Amino acid sequence: MTRPAKFASAGVLLALAALAALALGGCGGGSSSSDSSSTSASATGANATAEAAEGGAGDGGPGSGGASAGAAGAAGEAGVNGSAASGGGSSSGGKHGPRVPQPKGAPEPKITPEQRREATVADMILKSPSVPPPSSGPAVLPAQYTCDGKNTSPALRWAGVPAGTKELALFAMNVQPVNGKLFFDWAVAGLDPELGEIEAGKLPEGTVVGRNSFGKNGYEICPQGSGETYMFALYALPQRLSPGRGFEPLAFRKAVSDVSHNAGLMALAYSRG
Amino acid sequence: MQEHRRRRAAAPLLVGALVALALSAVFAGPAMASPAWKFNGEELKGTETILGGAQESGLSMWGMTTTCANFLYEVEISNKEGTGEGNVNSLPLFNCYTDTTCTVEAIEAESFPWHAELMSTGGNNYMKVKGVDVWILYGGWFCPVWGWWVHVTGSAGGIIDNETESATFGPSSFEATGAELEALGESVEWNGFFPSEGFQWHREESISVS
Repeated sequence: MTRPAKFASAGVLLALAALAALALGGCGGGSSSSDSSSTSASATGANATAEAAEGGAGDGGPGSGGASAGAAGAAGEAGVNGSAASGGGSSSGGKHGPRVPQPKGAPEPKITPEQRREATVADMILKSPSVPPPSSGPAVLPAQYTCDGKNTSPALRWAGVPAGTKELALFAMNVQPVNGKLFFDWAVAGLDPELGEIEAGKLPEGTVVGRNSFGKNGYEICPQGSGETYMFALYALPQRLSPGRGFEPLAFRKAVSDVSHNAGLMALAYSRG
Repeated sequence: MQEHRRRRAAAPLLVGALVALALSAVFAGPAMASPAWKFNGEELKGTETILGGAQESGLSMWGMTTTCANFLYEVEISNKEGTGEGNVNSLPLFNCYTDTTCTVEAIEAESFPWHAELMSTGGNNYMKVKGVDVWILYGGWFCPVWGWWVHVTGSAGGIIDNETESATFGPSSFEATGAELEALGESVEWNGFFPSEGFQWHREESISVS
């Protein structure tokens, strides 16, 4: 009589153990066969959480750091789920559809207070009355302002120059590099901030033109391929830099970026045919 | 006789009321068809946190694309009066780079939560996220926007596919939802395929919108 009772209690224990195993599986614990992958995914998740928290600590933005840490950690934990499911985990119902891809490495760093101070902010407005307003994407530069036309510079108009600006510097650059280098189509120094605009094909007195990447002191837009997007950038300078005629634009832009924190930006696209 | 007149006068009122009821039922139809969040086919009750994660998702502006190897979002979702909504609470970005000589020195999504809502149009379901706010600091000696702090703002719309349990963001889903992102006065295109899943109470359940 005692033996069946022992068997019965052992059966109850087994049933309870099975129920516990099922419950654990349902919580994302997975089966024992997927234990190792779960552990490694879990560790990655923990790392991601820690790194995200670390990244958030530097910026001082309340809430955002913690939130990122939450999502990064959550992604790591989602990986646990995914690993359990793909490793043959015995969760009831099974997982349908995809799982969230687990990120590799740490989240990108947030902008530090120092970077915020030193960055150039586009709070000036730069527009070209020579260019029709776009319906979407960058405005299209008419052919007359390229080597397919007269290759003269378009008219420019600007606003929002900060008080105390001594002069403006203007660059036109290819967005895509040429031979791995930044390509300058136009570089102008010594623009009077009071002007507010320059006419098409003309530069006011007192301005100094640098040597563009075609090797000429002037303006030239001539895409090598079928098309290109050009960035026109107008920088407000709190001091005069006074480079000489035919200055080297890359070095001048470095000098400009070191002292200027306000600029206007305009993208113009040009396509042949 | 007077009673009979009263009844005759009341008849058109009754008919009018019935017509009004019928019309209101007809016009209430589309509102009832608003898309809701579902797990394993059951409408979500209460709230749930979902994760969406894209690989190689990119923001394109001025002929330059900034891609992040991983682009995650964490959204707290719920159904309000039968229509799905949510709040994007975080968007960590991993391993970002550009297709130019520019590097991504720092990138930060902020001003959370970003409100999200489900909507149906043209027979498809979409999620529209409003209040998108991302700062990008570019670097690189040969970068045309070196040292620039670029602010991407606006709204983003993604089409929901129940088959793949995902939201896909791209020009057509932006157009369908009237979403628009911009930076420095230029429009920004966001492309990304985000498989999504429940993370809190509905793990390993299929997620759908209908």
